[in-house]
Amino acid sequence: MSTLDNIEPPLITEVKGSLHPINQVKDYLINMLAQMGFQEVDGPEIESEEFNFEMLNIKKSHPARQMHDTFYVENKSNVLRTHTSPVQIRSMLKSKPPLAFTSAGKVYRKDDDATHLPMFHQVEGIYVDENVTFANLKDLIHQILHNLFGKDVEIRFRPSYFPFTEPSAEVDILSENGKWLEILGCGIVNPLVLNNCNIDSEKYSGLAFGLGVERIAMLQYGVNDIRDFYKSNLDFLSQFK
Amino acid sequence: MKFIYQDLLNFLAEKPAKELLSEKLFQLGHEHEIDGDVFDMELTPNRGDCLSLNGLARDLNIFFGKAEPFKIFEGDIESLNLNFKNLSPDACPKISFLEIEIEGSINSYKSYLENYFSLLGNNKTNLFTDISNYVSYELGQPTHCFDANTINHQLIFENRNCDESFKTLLGSDIKLKDKNCIFLINNEIISLAGVMGGASTACSTNTKKALVECAYFTPEVIIGKSVKYNLTSDAAHKFERGVDIQAQEKVLRRFIEIVNDHAKIRSIKIQKFEETQAQQNSIPINVKKINKILGIDIEEKEYLSYLSKLDFGIEKEIVVPSHRHDISSQNDLAEEIARIIGYNNIESKPVEISKKTDEGFVNVKRLKNYLIKNGFSEVINFPFTKDKDNESISIDNPLDSNRSYLRISLKDSLIDNLLYNERRQKDSIKLFEISDLYSKNNNIKEEKRLGIIVSGRRGYNYLDFSKKLDHAYLSELLNQDSTNQAFDIEEISRTELKTKKKDRIFYIEIAIDKIPEHLLKEAESGLDQSNFIKYQPVSEFPSSIRDFSFSIKDFKQYDSVISLLSNLNDKNLRDSFIFDFYENKKLNEIKVGIRLIFQSNINTLSDDEIQNSVNRLLKPIIDLDSVSVPGLN
Repeated sequence: MSTLDNIEPPLITEVKGSLHPINQVKDYLINMLAQMGFQEVDGPEIESEEFNFEMLNIKKSHPARQMHDTFYVENKSNVLRTHTSPVQIRSMLKSKPPLAFTSAGKVYRKDDDATHLPMFHQVEGIYVDENVTFANLKDLIHQILHNLFGKDVEIRFRPSYFPFTEPSAEVDILSENGKWLEILGCGIVNPLVLNNCNIDSEKYSGLAFGLGVERIAMLQYGVNDIRDFYKSNLDFLSQFK
Repeated sequence: MKFIYQDLLNFLAEKPAKELLSEKLFQLGHEHEIDGDVFDMELTPNRGDCLSLNGLARDLNIFFGKAEPFKIFEGDIESLNLNFKNLSPDACPKISFLEIEIEGSINSYKSYLENYFSLLGNNKTNLFTDISNYVSYELGQPTHCFDANTINHQLIFENRNCDESFKTLLGSDIKLKDKNCIFLINNEIISLAGVMGGASTACSTNTKKALVECAYFTPEVIIGKSVKYNLTSDAAHKFERGVDIQAQEKVLRRFIEIVNDHAKIRSIKIQKFEETQAQQNSIPINVKKINKILGIDIEEKEYLSYLSKLDFGIEKEIVVPSHRHDISSQNDLAEEIARIIGYNNIESKPVEISKKTDEGFVNVKRLKNYLIKNGFSEVINFPFTKDKDNESISIDNPLDSNRSYLRISLKDSLIDNLLYNERRQKDSIKLFEISDLYSKNNNIKEEKRLGIIVSGRRGYNYLDFSKKLDHAYLSELLNQDSTNQAFDIEEISRTELKTKKKDRIFYIEIAIDKIPEHLLKEAESGLDQSNFIKYQPVSEFPSSIRDFSFSIKDFKQYDSVISLLSNLNDKNLRDSFIFDFYENKKLNEIKVGIRLIFQSNINTLSDDEIQNSVNRLLKPIIDLDSVSVPGLN
């Protein structure tokens, strides 16, 4: 017979908070790359022009170095890094091949509109060894995109241009509505970059790639407005438990 | 760059269908969109040589062959004796001038010229300028037309510091600053070289004699100028990417031919100023290296045949054509071969990377895990602020004055986040952010910090609903007691916050490397999510709260009540939770309080809509024997 003495109070369920969706995607990518053998490395967000540009073969005349594209700080003594590649440069300078690094974090571009933010996140990877080829790069990119979007996803490589890779490619996937969506940039590391890092480019070659975390997050979660990630709205954030 | 499909076909030996042409352009790396017969190209910045019909046709030659669709003026041309001085040959190593005079009336434009304006939406101005634009479309070399009668003194080219105003041919006044390439007459700037000409020397519909300037400006001296002065300039776009230094005579002869198509020419004179002979680049033939870069196996004969069709000279070494500024290494040549084969046709080859055992940044992951288990949500904020501190890093070129510095604390961002959520009717807020912060004290200092802010109810369960997030809560969270107060917990005053809320706000900020190990040990690492949810757009409409207290006299019904309350479902019900549980032994009664929160994604819910949902949700419960909601009709 039920009495007050044997009534169990309502169960207290632990209400969990949530990791930010951008960091969830970032961590997911880093873990995936770690499984493939990439070691996570970290570096500063305020960078010298030397590490952010010159070591990566981005010459003074490159549009990215103009004041309208890059945030300069403290009387042009440094920049807010425009990509996480300088982290890889710093790591390569401290290592010898074979090496495989992944760097992830905030990057900054002087942009602010409905589809571009002045701060966003990148995950990049670099692998340097003897006999690394474009064919190897393709295999690795297929592995990454199959992991993210499934084995059946249709993938397209297009020639592109980045000063730090040659050949360079942009990679698209075919969306459900039949349109190609740009997902990542990649290429064979420009030998000039290897030489800048004291790596013998005659003996070693490398592959490199970079993904925009917000773009992957928008596709995976179905978020249409990139600005939603940065409103700190609990109704939004609490969905990503 | 836009082009008309038929115009490009004229430059090709074969005439591919639009779809095939599009496919091959993508294969070569020339992204584009197609609108009817117009292709809108988005070329990579290293391929300035493709910013013309001729340039694209050169690249497509390997697939469709190349035709020479146009005539150039083949006759003799008198020498011009222009009073010109080049004071900055490094910025302009080669420049040519054509003086051309016409007479009589101008015929209506031939279809090729007319279509260029009508189909691509370009504005006509005058014959000489229109032909200049068209030649640039065909051959990729910008030219500038002065009204020759205005060039009545020595013409000077110089790359120098400026601090003067200049009126462009489009009528806008710009204030030149820093170093610019300029043309001058009598110390007056008449043209911002490589970007835009000036109003004082511009051609008009009355111009009968034009001085056509055709130059190679080094990309470095033109880059950024059109953006700096807010000018839209096709010429600058091309010079920034590099034009063909060897093309000037062909371009001017084509210019003459088109003038000849539209008017009677009275005289033509030409003069070339070349300061240095352009160097020809060459690269050793090494097909083995190409195969090694790409992971393919191509024969040397085939390799050289491909390059030959891209206008590379095949001699003892591979000679790079003068229009290809982007080629200087074996890797560049490898990309050429890959483009022709097609990136998608290169077979993937497995790569094995030896695994490292490094676990990455475990402490940060553990810390986040600990906070999330305790109900905190992580936020990410932009680092920009208007607030300056002695240690603040200043941004030289901020987006606006409110974002001129980098924050040196997470506090203001988290207060903003808290107030934002309070305005959205949130009454239990627990947020954290982990970020690198930068400050200066002689050198730039970097520190990874954790910021935590709390305010409102401790939770939504019946035990925590009436308790508040406070100093004690944060102390407990950080394992602090009266003997251990390692961290300063700050109460934030609401006085300056422009808010009517009364809940107290508590904040703490800690350097990550100061977090005690015992806190981190409690939380295992690994928050990694293996699947991605599909999120629901957040409603911008207000929510409405309804609280109900159930009286249960027959305790046999208790489990049914709790079960039904735990499984409430209605399209307008956003959330629900039991906030009260009370056993009244005197009255032999159990009281269960539930809060229902209603919100729609499409409108503000009316009282009637909410009441209908309430009735539907509560009916199965109050239909139970001995269960009632006192006060509910």
